[in-house]
Amino acid sequence: MSNFLAPTLTRRNLLAGMAGTVATTLLPVRHGLAGAPVVRDFALRPAPGRSPLLPAPRDPTPVWSYNDAVPGPEIRVRQGERLRIAVENGLDEGTTVHWHGVRTPNAMDGVPDLTQPPIAPGETFLYEFDAVDAGTFWYHPHQRSFEQLGRGLYGPLIVEEAEPLRVDRDVTWVLDDWRLGEDAAIADDFGSRSDMMHAGRIGNVVTINGRVADDVAVRRGERIRLRLINAANARIFALDFTDHAPLVVALDGQPVTPHRPASGRVVLGPAMRADLVLDCTGPVGSRATVVDRFYDGLEYDLVELAYGAEPLRDAAPEWPVALPANPLAEPDIAAATRHEVLFTGGMMGRMVMEEMAGRAGGDGPGGGMMGRMRSMMGMMHGDGIWLINGVAAKGPVLEPMLTLKRGRSHVLAMTNATAWPHPIHLHGHSFRVVSRNGEPTPYREWQDTVLMAPREIVEIALVADNPGDWMFHCHILEHQMSGMMGVIRVA
Amino acid sequence: MRRSLHALAAIVVMTGGAAAYLLLPRPAAAQAVMLYKNPQCGCCEAYADYLRRYGFTVTEKPTHDLAAMSRGVGLADDVQGCHLSMIETYAVSGHVPVDVIRRLLGERPDIKALTLPGMPQGSPGMGGTKAAPFEILQVSQSGVVTGVYARR
Repeated sequence: MSNFLAPTLTRRNLLAGMAGTVATTLLPVRHGLAGAPVVRDFALRPAPGRSPLLPAPRDPTPVWSYNDAVPGPEIRVRQGERLRIAVENGLDEGTTVHWHGVRTPNAMDGVPDLTQPPIAPGETFLYEFDAVDAGTFWYHPHQRSFEQLGRGLYGPLIVEEAEPLRVDRDVTWVLDDWRLGEDAAIADDFGSRSDMMHAGRIGNVVTINGRVADDVAVRRGERIRLRLINAANARIFALDFTDHAPLVVALDGQPVTPHRPASGRVVLGPAMRADLVLDCTGPVGSRATVVDRFYDGLEYDLVELAYGAEPLRDAAPEWPVALPANPLAEPDIAAATRHEVLFTGGMMGRMVMEEMAGRAGGDGPGGGMMGRMRSMMGMMHGDGIWLINGVAAKGPVLEPMLTLKRGRSHVLAMTNATAWPHPIHLHGHSFRVVSRNGEPTPYREWQDTVLMAPREIVEIALVADNPGDWMFHCHILEHQMSGMMGVIRVA
Repeated sequence: MRRSLHALAAIVVMTGGAAAYLLLPRPAAAQAVMLYKNPQCGCCEAYADYLRRYGFTVTEKPTHDLAAMSRGVGLADDVQGCHLSMIETYAVSGHVPVDVIRRLLGERPDIKALTLPGMPQGSPGMGGTKAAPFEILQVSQSGVVTGVYARR
């Protein structure tokens, strides 16, 4: 927070700001004394830098970062405030900033060519939007994201509730992984075909807040609100807090019925967030390990919680853990328009597609989605590796693959006919995850990025209340760049 | 902190010696194979089982560094198979049929690697129907593809 500077407004970025300001706020904003919304100014400068990802005596790693920090500075505002963020591009290539999960007006969404021209080197763009939802969000480029994020461009964006949850500490962990060589430099093989075909670019070093994690000091009896953000290109985390039993209270920034995670693991695909209430119930002087168990045979210890000698209190506090709901429009499932979305491609994709189409073959006339799947089998050729509804997109994508009637409820029935998990992100909206493989989800959680297992069918529901052309893509960035993206129009 | 620095992948070359007893005809003692694979790739497991059926003793090792490891044994990105088997002093990349591996171990040419790029349909461990003959490429000690070692 300390390295924020109020931007020096030049004529250019004033104009950019005015051009970009679309005065459609979804909701009442927080007003200051004179009745105008409280405006918070920030400045971000993406540029090459160096960051000590590995402890000394290793050299700092050459990175690209916002304001010379990995992660970029935490932007923290109150719900209802207006953010005004001047982004000055210090890179040698164009960039944009996407405010992941924040329901901004379309022109502020930061998608190059679709919602704005890329910010050229040396240029400044002024983003301005209201923090309509409280929660844990993040920002990152949307231009050549697979490399710009992979080199370190991302940061947390926290919107506080009017009355924040009562906790002893509010802590943010931005998780990332890096593919580093022995010299601590980032391996240059961004966008390799192997990464595109398989699980994406998964690194060999995992960091929390831009550092290989050391111990985290805690005190017995302490209650921590732990905001987890997965900023990795491709790595999925499944965090096991071993002797602790954290409660999930929000997913992707949106409150959820407080619950223990399934199998005791907090699973986060790329771009996903979870807010946990972590009660530190261990004995004084003890240690507890947080283990990442997502990939079989590659489990590792992420970090250790190290208890101090002095307890804060003897038992966990009995404060409420439920968060107030955000002002999201509730979809009417019965009246919703249904849309089929089919994901195919990748290594072993043909095999899975044939298997799923074959399995469905006995059930019906072969029409609908499975019929389309069969017809698509003949279409898998060319450069595109991943496809949505039979199309492997080449950027920039401008033409919509779906148009959702504005103000109406919609269900997207999504089938992952691939052998790989995919975190699917829709811009501009949060949606309810209503079913998985035909079974209702227990919490009907609001998400902006839903992790689909291989062969899984997931239904999401939303009210299309934010007009514009919105990206819809896999947030494994190597999958996105090799076809797994599209545009959904709300009009 | 060591814990999080998982393995800047040292490639372990297993030498032969582990014994196995088989029904299938084969020339020499069972070969030990260290097979590096993506942790989520099912067809690599099917290929490991295929090798086992032919008497190899296979250890599967999941890794996120497959592409870098393949490059490390001289395989450029465009000729990599989808997993990497280390057999004696050779690297065998992808779904290479077992008779080709036996020929390699019998002839012992002065090369670094064999590779069947990608995941061709109908190859061992893969489902589907073979669409075209497989070309198994040979890679020199200096990491250059020097020709087709076998067609199947």
